[in-house]
Amino acid sequence: MSTLALQNVTYKYEGSSKNIFKDVNMDFEKGKVYTIVGKSGAGKSTLLNLLAGLDTATEGSVTYENENLAEMNRNRYRAKNAGIIFQGLNLLTNATAIDNIVLSMNISGVSERNKKAKTYSLLEKVGISKEKATRKILKLSGGEQQRVAIARALAHDPELIVADEPTGNLDKQTEDSILKIFSSLAHDEGKCVIIVTHSKKVTNIADEMWGLDKGVFRQMTKDKK
Amino acid sequence: MYVFEHALLNLGKNKGRNILLGIMLFAVIASAVIALSIFNATDSIIENARIEFNTMIQIRPQRRQMGGNDNGASTVTLEDLHRFADSDYLSGVQIGVGGGFARGNETVFYLRSPELLYAFEAEMREKGLPDDWAVFRDESSYRRMIAPIENLQDISLTFLIVVMLFGAAIMILLSVIAIRERKYEIGVLRAMGMKKNKVVLCLWVETIVITFVCFVFGIIVGTVLSNPVAGALWTGEGQINIALNGITALQILGASLLLATITGAVSVSRITKYEPIKILMERN
Repeated sequence: MSTLALQNVTYKYEGSSKNIFKDVNMDFEKGKVYTIVGKSGAGKSTLLNLLAGLDTATEGSVTYENENLAEMNRNRYRAKNAGIIFQGLNLLTNATAIDNIVLSMNISGVSERNKKAKTYSLLEKVGISKEKATRKILKLSGGEQQRVAIARALAHDPELIVADEPTGNLDKQTEDSILKIFSSLAHDEGKCVIIVTHSKKVTNIADEMWGLDKGVFRQMTKDKK
Repeated sequence: MYVFEHALLNLGKNKGRNILLGIMLFAVIASAVIALSIFNATDSIIENARIEFNTMIQIRPQRRQMGGNDNGASTVTLEDLHRFADSDYLSGVQIGVGGGFARGNETVFYLRSPELLYAFEAEMREKGLPDDWAVFRDESSYRRMIAPIENLQDISLTFLIVVMLFGAAIMILLSVIAIRERKYEIGVLRAMGMKKNKVVLCLWVETIVITFVCFVFGIIVGTVLSNPVAGALWTGEGQINIALNGITALQILGASLLLATITGAVSVSRITKYEPIKILMERN
């Protein structure tokens, strides 16, 4: 049974007559990793914004647990149900890694007593040391910032993880460990993980791979990529 | 609760901007303290003088059309003056005597309250005050006494209005610039699921904390400077004492909070225009 579904979704930018995609139908289930591939500018990130509840479809609906996102409280959805890893990371740059993650937990209403301890443990999981955890984001490298963004998305233990090029800035070793985390989140913890990527390595962990080309979504097999 | 924690953390993170905002607010509050203290002190002096003047009554022979002097007017004797002074309407009397004669026009009657004037005049007429003697208040003396105080009050009021308007304009400008700078931060918070009202509350708490700190320093510095400033502006005789009272402090606090809320309202109006996705797309 799908946890997140696109039903006849059409999207075009405000003031534009051109559809980015039209009549898209897709189902995303818990316990699986999905990857979405396609050329730059094909609309992958736009799709991810719809799934993350940051934007609404021009026509059709995006439903989460059978509830239309356009009609539900999308602040709550983003805070509690979805963990979003943005391509641009979107971290608070004048705050430390710890502050970013604790704030995210606070917004999500995480009841954990010792949020800092949980944050250190999360950051350690993605390869950020205690010393680096207390540095301001601007004092971290691109790869470290990306790992903080991943940790932040997982901090409130969301059912759905939506990631836009999450391993773009990572070295091979870190990429492998992050992919293991994504895989484990889906296969061991039963979460739904949706990743937009250009990386073949990322598509290798996918249970389903979808391609977006000229506004049309097609399910692909891994060897077809 | 976390909104307050985040707001307090932000105060430390954005030191430059907050210090600039603080300096502006401090200058506005200190100036307002000086202006309002002077205004309230002069207001109280004027009010006391008005009450005092309105209770000081004199009598004099009315000037004749012909010759424009007192010649030919009826006389008021010392006995008459004592009879007039024996009145329940009075709190005191200062009888003018010169050269062994009663001088009615140098006698001052002090009424218990200003509104008793007509009753006291009627009583004096009954007791024999001639019709060609007038009962009057010495308005020209009052004007002379009060003019420099009113002048100082006008200056302080004008200064207060200018400071408040200028302060409000600068604060709104700084707030607009700050919100532009913080647009990205607001986009990130909203994308993480923070509600608009919490973002607004966070910004408001930051402004209120800065306002309160500036209020404390502004009150101290304003109070210290009030007397020297009033002294420099005072053109009357003697010296004028300015003291900050609780009501003035509350007025300043109210005005400061109003100013902070106005600037907060500007932030709110701008924040509500932003959708997180638009901010983040613009940035990325």
